[in-house]
Amino acid sequence: MKHTLQQVFRSGKFVVGFCILTAVLLIVIVYPLIVPTPPLRTISQGTFVPPGIYVNVFDSIDSATHYTLDLDDVAARRIAGRLDEEDRVSMKEWLVASGIEESAIDTSDTRKFLDQWVNNYDPGKNIPGMTNAKRNLYARLDALLDGILSTEGVIIAAHDPDTGVLEKKGNIEQSDFVNIGQLPNVRILPLGTDNFGRDVLAELVKATAVSLEIGLVAGIIATLIGLTLGLLAGYVGGFMDDGIMFFTNLFTVIPTFVLLILISFSIGQEQRGAFTIAVVIGLTSWVWTTRAVRSQVLSLRNRDHVNLAKLSGHSTGHIVLRDILPYIASYVVMALILQISSGILSEAGLSILGLGPKTSEVPTLGLMMNWALYYNAHVNGQWWAYVPVILVIALISFSMNLMNTGLDHVFNPTVRD
Amino acid sequence: MKGYRKYFLNKLAWFFVTLVCAFILNFILPRLMPGDPVAAIVSRLAQGMSDATGVQAIYQQYADLFGTNRPIYEQFFIYVKNVVRSDFGFSFSQYPRTVADVIASSIWWTVFLQLPAILVGWLIGNFLGALAAYRRKGFDKVLLPVSIFASSLPAFGMAVLLLVVFALTLGWFPTSGGYGFDMIPALSWGFIWSVIVHYQLPFWSIVLITIGGQAIGMRSMAIYELNADYVKYSRFMGIKDRKILRYVFRNAMLPQVTGLALAIGTMVSGALVAEIIFNYPGLGSTILKAVLGQDYPLISAATLIITLMVLVTTFAIEILYGFIDPRVKAAQSEG
Amino acid sequence: MRSKCLAIFIFLALTAILTTACGPAKDEVTQSTGEDPKVLPRKETLYFNGQQFGPVVGWNPYSTSNNNAMAIVLQDNSRVTMFETPYLYNMLDGKVYPLLAEGDYSWNDDRTILTFKIKEAAHWSDGTPVTAEDVAYTWAAHVRYNTPAGAANKDYIDTIEAADDRKVVIKAKRDREGKPVNPLIVASYVSTYYVIQKSWTERLEERAGGDTAKFLADTAEDAVYSGPYHRFFADDSKVILVRDDDYWGRDDSMWGRLPVPKYLAHTIFRDNAASAVAFKKGEVDVSQAFNPNIELLWLNDRLPISTYLPEPPYNIGTKMPTAFYNLNSYGLDQVAVRKAIAIAVDYPTVIANAVTNQSPTFDEVPRSLMNPTSTEQALYDHDAVKHLQWEGNDIDGARKLLDTVGIVDSDGDGWREFKGRKLSYTASCPSGWSDWQSAIEVVAAAGGKIGIEITTNYPEWSVYQTIVTKSDSPLPEGYDIFMMYTTGAGPAQPYTRIRNLLSSEWVGMAGNWNGNWGQYSNMEADTLLREIPGETDPGRLKEMYTELVKIYLTDVPSFTLMYRPEAFHAVNETIWTNFPHQNDGTDPPVPPLDCTDGWGIACLYNLTLVNP
Repeated sequence: MKHTLQQVFRSGKFVVGFCILTAVLLIVIVYPLIVPTPPLRTISQGTFVPPGIYVNVFDSIDSATHYTLDLDDVAARRIAGRLDEEDRVSMKEWLVASGIEESAIDTSDTRKFLDQWVNNYDPGKNIPGMTNAKRNLYARLDALLDGILSTEGVIIAAHDPDTGVLEKKGNIEQSDFVNIGQLPNVRILPLGTDNFGRDVLAELVKATAVSLEIGLVAGIIATLIGLTLGLLAGYVGGFMDDGIMFFTNLFTVIPTFVLLILISFSIGQEQRGAFTIAVVIGLTSWVWTTRAVRSQVLSLRNRDHVNLAKLSGHSTGHIVLRDILPYIASYVVMALILQISSGILSEAGLSILGLGPKTSEVPTLGLMMNWALYYNAHVNGQWWAYVPVILVIALISFSMNLMNTGLDHVFNPTVRD
Repeated sequence: MKGYRKYFLNKLAWFFVTLVCAFILNFILPRLMPGDPVAAIVSRLAQGMSDATGVQAIYQQYADLFGTNRPIYEQFFIYVKNVVRSDFGFSFSQYPRTVADVIASSIWWTVFLQLPAILVGWLIGNFLGALAAYRRKGFDKVLLPVSIFASSLPAFGMAVLLLVVFALTLGWFPTSGGYGFDMIPALSWGFIWSVIVHYQLPFWSIVLITIGGQAIGMRSMAIYELNADYVKYSRFMGIKDRKILRYVFRNAMLPQVTGLALAIGTMVSGALVAEIIFNYPGLGSTILKAVLGQDYPLISAATLIITLMVLVTTFAIEILYGFIDPRVKAAQSEG
Repeated sequence: MRSKCLAIFIFLALTAILTTACGPAKDEVTQSTGEDPKVLPRKETLYFNGQQFGPVVGWNPYSTSNNNAMAIVLQDNSRVTMFETPYLYNMLDGKVYPLLAEGDYSWNDDRTILTFKIKEAAHWSDGTPVTAEDVAYTWAAHVRYNTPAGAANKDYIDTIEAADDRKVVIKAKRDREGKPVNPLIVASYVSTYYVIQKSWTERLEERAGGDTAKFLADTAEDAVYSGPYHRFFADDSKVILVRDDDYWGRDDSMWGRLPVPKYLAHTIFRDNAASAVAFKKGEVDVSQAFNPNIELLWLNDRLPISTYLPEPPYNIGTKMPTAFYNLNSYGLDQVAVRKAIAIAVDYPTVIANAVTNQSPTFDEVPRSLMNPTSTEQALYDHDAVKHLQWEGNDIDGARKLLDTVGIVDSDGDGWREFKGRKLSYTASCPSGWSDWQSAIEVVAAAGGKIGIEITTNYPEWSVYQTIVTKSDSPLPEGYDIFMMYTTGAGPAQPYTRIRNLLSSEWVGMAGNWNGNWGQYSNMEADTLLREIPGETDPGRLKEMYTELVKIYLTDVPSFTLMYRPEAFHAVNETIWTNFPHQNDGTDPPVPPLDCTDGWGIACLYNLTLVNP
């Protein structure tokens, strides 16, 4: 046993896979302790807030923390932020279409260009062939350009609590900067928020935990069933074998995913907790394990030590436990790992179809994917809502498969490099 | 041959028993779902009816038409009688379309997406796996982890990534549909080319994952075979590798063929994810809608087709095994 | 060995790909009448999405289960692409405009008889003229076969007769005092229901042999129509309508020209995401789908996509998805509980997150029974109900409300009890209706903040609808707070909507698709609702509506969660332009109804190509 473990941990592939999995498990356990946000809490009013560092604007207005820095191109940057090259080209198009000579327009001379625009832009002017979208674009640009060249600061005012009159509280100059480190309210959202306004990273961590649990439960159930049936079929043989193989064939022949969908639908949303789904998945995916265990047991059945045990008069149960089980243990462990990974994938698949666990109880990886697709995250380029989910699933699967391959190398010396 | 005949008859007997049980299960399982589909249809039709008797009358009419108000064993016999006449009845969710009509219009797309995808994936995957097993060293060290990773990507993940990268961002492939959005099916080169182009992304999303899985499987089998005694012995004897390999791969392929048979058998249900992400026509999403709409006849018919296909292919493989693998024959004749 | 393998596999792959191409061509192609294109010319086709999910089942204008959204939709703004109604409702100015009819309709003095004439130029696709007899026979068929149209109107319309070839006379049902039961509904009939040809109906009846089920289930591929478009092609992937160049409407008495697009096509998408992708790529021109964060498409991606309004709410809200309380649930019979939950919900988050700002907020349009359009908003006295309206997120107010009536947490478990029993509810809506699901999540969160346990549940629509519409017994468990829709803009609004929300006449119905699914009952509301259809004095009507709003906001039998447009309407102007938009100068103003509904169909006559 100890020797086997030593060998196992010397296998490169197994170690890599094991490390990845442990890292994931650690993150899943430790992250909620460091960042205590409840994963299902809506934190943003507005969907799919992009990843980044969020600074509380109200805090940054507080004049005590302002620094005046005299930097180059602050103004140029600000203008470029509001009006990029494509916008300038659009504006030039409008000016040309409204009758101005193209040669007289120079988009790089901002001041002159903006002067031309302000003097000529007329939202009511009907330019033939202009789409509504373009019309709206120009209206937006025109509004954006208001005061863009001014060098004046802004005044902060607030309602006096007693009189209700607007009173000046302070002002902000264009050269005022704040130090993020000194602001009380800065929040990093490494993966932004999803369509519900929830913190994607916190949700992802919790979802990984739930999905792993589901995979584990499903995998254990499937492996137990497969092991038992395989042992019985392989060892006892005869009619028991035929019967169990018949039963297995029946399960093969009825498509698993249809069965899964049917059962999931029948249970109804009300009962569909994470645990229930795991049980359902486990109950429908034992077929492959049974077959594999059975073929192993069949080949073991005629080995010498088994015959010896039979001759010695040991009971069937004793033989199965002592003489067969240890030899297929390695195989069973590998099967378990595969079942866990396929359990996670099945749950994700079910959730994408809308038949997974309830949305409001716990997040799962499949559910996050489902909602991201519902809200067109992939159409609108909001990659943070679904790409990390795919990567996490792939990573977990990958690490398990690596571990499996590593174990394979240990238990089947012939396949070793 | 006598032993072989016994093997054949044994397999045939189990085939029929499984078929009958599967048939019964196919009928019962959808009907075990809670809820009353006729009530759903009727409530749609009876909109605005204020009197209970009017609604009841319509309910009776449809219950009679669909036969849902009869005891289940009676429904079963009617079902068997109709199936034998290839009348699968009306679809509940798409009434008054018949089940045969619904399935016929979508099954070809599924078959023509899945079959080549499975075959190509299987061929390429096994080829690469065998190559890796034979060559070892550099090629193998790269292939194995890449294959493992490819097969770890969930099917929908691969589909979404392909969609976003190749169709949305790069624009090299169309984003949806079985054929051009502005085309009408007809036997013209334009249409055929459009079908081929729309075929690519769903096809590759299935193939890439299949390759991964097959390569790993074939690789282990091939390595196992390559280390067998007869190979070492033949090499010592000086027989050329090329001759040996033929036997090696033939032996290694056997379990893979079983896998292929199973994949082909279940392919009708398989492309659900690709169908949804790429909006590809096919049977997978029809089945899903049928389940969500509690459409018993459609579910039963679709699962029946899948059942038949799996049984036939498994049975065919087992018979084929009997011919290919002499060990089976030997076991039977001594048994 | 290896090259042989390679050769085999390449051969197989090629064969596979080629066989693919041949296979699906087995799909049906309609009879090729001469020059039918195999590729629809892009500059002559208008593409839609969001109307049709799933293949078309039939073309029968008497049935409502054809799943044929491009051709047959009966609602206040009926779809008039293939079949036509006498009048078209315009939700922007609240008036009806004649289509098959000539000039306005007229009531007699006591509003028991409504008369209108059919246009002389109107004719069917087989060349015969549209006559008043067609209108009369259509109604007779509706009644005889108890179609949904018949069932909905037979309590209000007595007969429809043809006084002569072109004059139609509708007699309203009278009550015991000889007054019309509901002239509002009678008037809205002429802009909602199709006129169907009598001789074709007779052929259909012959086929059906008098059997209602057969009559409604007939696929009617041979239907005779009067509208500008008809069936061209329909399979599992798409539906295409083609223009009839002989359409009567090109006569000067109607449009004076033909609609611009020759083909109207709708690809059948599996779900919203796939249809959004096609819309983004310009493969769809008019989108009726809910496109979350649609503004990103023109702000970030700079695509030529726009909505009716350039800023939030992007569309004109007319419908009001509502959360209904099951008044038979434990504790929900207490006004305090109902009101507390309603005022605690975070509506700004509902609007920002669930519908991504495609709805006006409740401070822009304070809640009432009226939709945000100016016509309806003018119908009630805003100041009189101001003190009853709330904006939401009022956690303190909700808590105070509950504390005052003694509903407190006496056993310290964090949840309030009423008379010793913990208050615990399930909030639900159909699964897959993503914006509704998001809204329900916010409702559940509000409960948590005020100490009432609310969990969520999302049954399948087929199950949900069957349970909710059964109003002849109390709703089963799991349906304490549930979402349903209301009607939008129409000639009989807001009366119909208020009736659907508050009237107790629906309680006890076995197939209740009208409303008041929570089974609320208020005699004063019922009385007002009975009187409104007969009332003509605008001042008195305003008083009555204001009173109803007061009742609604005091009793809170249900509460509006958000506003929703009559139809989502977003356009991609890559190929076509001159769609309706705010201040587009059209008179009468063309409503943004995807170019097919009610007066919105005028859009099809105004379209121009971006690059002709």
